Amino acid sequence: MGILRKTTAPLLTLAITAALGTGVANAKDTVKVAFIGPLTGGVSAVGVGGRNSAELAVQLRNADPNAKYEYELVTQDSECKPNVGVQIATKIAADRSIIGLVGHYCSAVAMGAVDIYHRFNLPMSVWGAVLPEITYANDYKEIHRVNGTMINQNEVAAKFMTDQGYKTWVIIHDTTDYGKGHNKYFSEYLTANGGEILADFGVPADQQDFTAELTKAKQLNPDVIYFGGLTPLGVRIRAQMDKLGIESQFQGVSGIKSDSFIDGTGELAEGVVSFLEGAPLEKLPGGQYFSEKYKAAGFTESEEAYGPFAFSAMNLILDGIEEVGPNRKALTEYLGNIQDHDSVVGKISFDDHGQNTVAAITPYVIQDGKWVVWEDSEYADGTRKLSGL
Amino acid sequence: MDMGLLGQFIVNGMMLGMMYALVAVGFTLFFGVLDVIKFSHGDVLMVGTFAGFSTYLGLGAIGIDNAFVQLIGVLVVAIGSMAILGAIIARYLVLPLKSAPPLNTLLVTLMLGTVLREAIRLFYPDGSNPKRFPSLLPTDSWTIGSFNLRADSVILLVGGLLVIVGVHVLINRTRLGMAIRAVAQDEETAKCMGINFKMIVLLTFGLGSAVAAFAGVMNGLYYNEINFGMGLLLGVIGFSAAIIGGLGNIYGAILGGFIFAALQTLGAVALPFASAYKDVFAFAVVIALIAWRPTGLIAEKTSERV
Amino acid sequence: MTQSLKDKLIILLLAALGAAFLVTFIAIEEQAEIFALLVFAGVLIIASAKLGLTDKISQSLSRNERLLNLSVIAAMLVVIFWFHEDHFPLLMIATVLLYVVACCGLNMQFGYTGVVNFAGAAFFGVGCYTAAVLGGTGTPLLLVIALGGVMAAIIGSILIIPVLRTRGHYAAVVTIAFGLLFRTFLEVNDTLGGPQGLPVSGMNLFGWDFNSNIQITENIEFSFYMNYVILALIMVILTFILMRRIERSWIGLNFDAVRLDETAAACYGINIKRWKILSFTLGNFLAGTAGALFAMMLGFIAPSNFAFSDSLILVSIVLLGGMGSIWGTILAAGLVVLLPEKLQVIQEYRFLLYAVVMILILLFRPQGVLPRNLRSYIPGWRG
Repeated sequence: MGILRKTTAPLLTLAITAALGTGVANAKDTVKVAFIGPLTGGVSAVGVGGRNSAELAVQLRNADPNAKYEYELVTQDSECKPNVGVQIATKIAADRSIIGLVGHYCSAVAMGAVDIYHRFNLPMSVWGAVLPEITYANDYKEIHRVNGTMINQNEVAAKFMTDQGYKTWVIIHDTTDYGKGHNKYFSEYLTANGGEILADFGVPADQQDFTAELTKAKQLNPDVIYFGGLTPLGVRIRAQMDKLGIESQFQGVSGIKSDSFIDGTGELAEGVVSFLEGAPLEKLPGGQYFSEKYKAAGFTESEEAYGPFAFSAMNLILDGIEEVGPNRKALTEYLGNIQDHDSVVGKISFDDHGQNTVAAITPYVIQDGKWVVWEDSEYADGTRKLSGL
Repeated sequence: MDMGLLGQFIVNGMMLGMMYALVAVGFTLFFGVLDVIKFSHGDVLMVGTFAGFSTYLGLGAIGIDNAFVQLIGVLVVAIGSMAILGAIIARYLVLPLKSAPPLNTLLVTLMLGTVLREAIRLFYPDGSNPKRFPSLLPTDSWTIGSFNLRADSVILLVGGLLVIVGVHVLINRTRLGMAIRAVAQDEETAKCMGINFKMIVLLTFGLGSAVAAFAGVMNGLYYNEINFGMGLLLGVIGFSAAIIGGLGNIYGAILGGFIFAALQTLGAVALPFASAYKDVFAFAVVIALIAWRPTGLIAEKTSERV
Repeated sequence: MTQSLKDKLIILLLAALGAAFLVTFIAIEEQAEIFALLVFAGVLIIASAKLGLTDKISQSLSRNERLLNLSVIAAMLVVIFWFHEDHFPLLMIATVLLYVVACCGLNMQFGYTGVVNFAGAAFFGVGCYTAAVLGGTGTPLLLVIALGGVMAAIIGSILIIPVLRTRGHYAAVVTIAFGLLFRTFLEVNDTLGGPQGLPVSGMNLFGWDFNSNIQITENIEFSFYMNYVILALIMVILTFILMRRIERSWIGLNFDAVRLDETAAACYGINIKRWKILSFTLGNFLAGTAGALFAMMLGFIAPSNFAFSDSLILVSIVLLGGMGSIWGTILAAGLVVLLPEKLQVIQEYRFLLYAVVMILILLFRPQGVLPRNLRSYIPGWRG
């Protein structure tokens, strides 16, 4: 009897799944869409938040009885390394059953991968990478981006910081295109606003010891240390600044706006400022809706800074497939004509290069172990003061 | 350059040199007794640091938050568990390959290093992400001009020095040390004199790995960050340091460790190109040094047995 | 049936079986099926070994080497044309082939003369970067592949003095240090793309663009990776011939003598330095050529492609296949590249698994899965 049960159980499940499977197949065809983000490594928190958000979009669509297709999400981990990213981009682009892609938080990875999407004609939308060149350095009609670029971010950041009364800066940036881009645009706008750059250091993205660079920086005694790079390096630099007794204000970019930066630096996080494109979630048109759905879906990780963008990008791709069918070329064409498309991050309109125009930039500051919108913080009303003011 | 800045660079360099020397001592001990390279040494260091980190979390969970008690707990667990791991590696991977070509031992320990690294990455909770290592030492600091000296750095330096002196005393002044030196000099004769060869090898591997665990905790306390890949570079640097000093010689290892740190600091400070080239510079000098003195600065005094 | 006819039949049958296996293995997606297929293959091999079939087969093989080589090439072509329009399988096959070339280079060093080289990925990388830099300049691209090899050989020559002067552990640390140095250098050096990496333009042979699909007729379109697979296959064949020629010549004899006992070889008047330099340089050359084509195929390279762990994978392939064994290298490269791609379960754990397998191999079968046979004075001689 025991043996019989053992053998019949899988058989039964097999029969049931077969029956169900054919049933669903009769009703709806399955269409594959993909997501790429950093799911392991130092910036994985943001990547996982984005993945969950994209998955949420697919789940909601599959639950919608009016949807024409059943969607299957393929996720891949770029590890935030260009070479790994290019490998998996090839893998996804070469798979003809995948129709659209939402990909990339790390600009360095995206820069390597866009050529591949173009080569295989895979329509995609970036959900978090901010380097302008991803959309502007090419004419690939497959490439789109729902989030903003680092140009506006640095424009606002330079103005904001000089308005606070800071005069001198030392810049540390990683030497990927991402860090170099931040260095370029921030320097440009800072000089325009009258700030002075005492020195800039380019460092490899996996350097451990910054005492040499920071000791040099300390001698220059800047008001602010600007860091253009991602969370893991930011954590190390902030911690080692303290080791060397550097009192300067620490200013980051959107790349450190994650909870893992606070976890990594602990008490030293207090008063660190950063800038992020897009309005804060609670002030977004569909922010309320997105937050509720995200909570209801039971994800344990936070959606992080770029979750809403990943959600919107995936929804955009799904809308397109619903409209024009599961065909890469048709979807590319559809995405090319997007104007005033509703989403949780506001209306999406792509320009000639597939770039969405996101005007708003929000300054954030860490207060009591949380990222707080500057206007709502105790720093803005004068209760607390940034370093060196 | 002003004196304060110079002092700052010297302290930074000393700190690095101490860590490298501690790792190099392990390599040199293993080579001394068994003529093998245990390449997983850097990863044993990493595992030791993670063991210490877990102890810290565990102590926190049961409500012990006195920094001193935590520090002692972290050190005891890290050092103790790595001593055992070192002996296990010697017993099951290194000794069985004793008569195989030396390349095989090198490969087997290289692969073991990968196993340890990947195991932490995959099986330690959230192991692929860097972890914040706590500051368990007092952080008072003294500032003289542009020179900033922190109490924790001083304690770490003194601690490292004590460990090195301790190993030196152990090797040169105790019966165990005499046995280790005897085995290093001539295995057969040592056996004839009633020395338990296997036991001495296991103890030496335990000792070397314990020192590495100390260096790992030191690294964690200094950088306040640990990750699964930290052992690889430290291992290679420690290995290079032992080689430029001359394998099998403890003073050589210490010398090599400080030379490497000095090269890195020099590369970062005094050379005309960007400070990021410091590792390129240091490794290039290491290769040149090996080409110049193929058996190290303090060379082994042996002729080849045919 | 005569013995020789039987031999020939066995070889053809084996090649057909191999091709069928490879096609099925690459084509199926279902994890359970892949697993079942692997178990089936494993059982088949173990059973035939138990029944003593393997010995008989290997004798048949060694009597008819030419036919064996030809039928393996034919089988490979069948597999390639089977997947003529599927991008990804072709990319995988090409990757395997290029790994074979690179690992043959390492084999020349480790397996023939016993020169250790733990910077295989670095020399592969020199080829990649050569292709990236020369790609846009209009240099004929077949020349670029050769130049990739030449560059690797030249850069390798920097290491010749330390490698010659040292032995064993000391030589190992020289190459390991070089591997790290190479990668760090690429990461901090802006002109070669830094950590960001570099795009590489595709292969273009006499106006034939390798990066566009090949339209045969209205309905038949070949994937553009086809170009690379064919070229890689040609490179493997040339490498194979080179390796075999060297192995069977007096050069190979000298190599073996240097590896087996340096002191004794020197006593008999063999110039150890000359042979070590030759094998080290040739090995790096092969790794460099493979790298150059690999970079053109991938279209993008970054320093993190050439980390220490990648060098270790190359060494693992050589070791798994068996030091000095070319067929072993081919088999091992296939296993190491294809298995994690197909078995998604192990993808995440691949480095861990490789390392564990290597430790087991070193402990229990240090000669590898397909060990190199002793030189046979008369091929196929039964004795």
